[in-house]
Amino acid sequence: MNVDVALFAYLADYQPDGLGGRAPRSFALEADATIASVIESLGLPDEPRIVFVNGKHAEEPDVLHEGDRLAIFPPVAGG
Amino acid sequence: MSPDPDGRLCRPPLEPDDDPALRARLAASHVAIIGCGGLGSNAAAMLLRSGVGELTLIDFDVVEESNLNRQLYFADQIGRPKTEALAETLLRITPDARLHLVQHCVTEHDIVELVAPADVVIEAVDRADVKAMIANTLLREHPEIPLIGASGLAGLDSANAVVTERLVDSYYLVGDLVSDVHLGHSLFASRVMVAAAHEAHAAIRILLGYPEP
Repeated sequence: MNVDVALFAYLADYQPDGLGGRAPRSFALEADATIASVIESLGLPDEPRIVFVNGKHAEEPDVLHEGDRLAIFPPVAGG
Repeated sequence: MSPDPDGRLCRPPLEPDDDPALRARLAASHVAIIGCGGLGSNAAAMLLRSGVGELTLIDFDVVEESNLNRQLYFADQIGRPKTEALAETLLRITPDARLHLVQHCVTEHDIVELVAPADVVIEAVDRADVKAMIANTLLREHPEIPLIGASGLAGLDSANAVVTERLVDSYYLVGDLVSDVHLGHSLFASRVMVAAAHEAHAAIRILLGYPEP
């Protein structure tokens, strides 16, 4: 199945094409792939993050489906 | 000859063409602010000055000297709980403001209950992991309440890089998303207050039914 993945802020550097930016890229995944498996395969750092699928908040163990739009946002400190 | 022969420049400006229904709507509104530091203390004052009637102020900390360069506190308030010190100042601005003070460090177990009565929640904490906890907990358990978060307000990059955007349905984000205070960027009152103003204005727009782009 194919899933669009958008990585925000400094996570954009982890897009496999090396081009950066928050524009989503299409990923071919195994059926029943989870958000956590995508995070692991991209090698994202173990830092605080917020995950959305199709514009709704999602949890990392959630299973992805064909055509899903995954977005991962990492807040940074300061307030 | 006087440059202002009629004295017009010395008269007070006309009152803005105000809308009583709009003001009534704000006066009946309740905003919860988690964190009363540089973002939260200044956003609270802006919300009250704009007419919001009720605030819940949540912070576990006390005022320190190092806060005075950007937070709405005064030297004679050092050592006092931030919630109490801020309330004292806010009531000087708006004596009939309805304030709820919570001197507490929020956790994922109690945050929903603490902010549940509010119409809008402003996240104004310092730590990235607490920002993530607040967003993950509220967006999961209370997605109907709009949440305004902040990320990326440190340093000396342009103030124009601080923006408000609607990341998803009920999650609004203020900042440049990248300027991390832990990467050696100092916090300047000018840029922190830009972000605080963005958070306060986003809350006002949400309360009045304006969508953010």
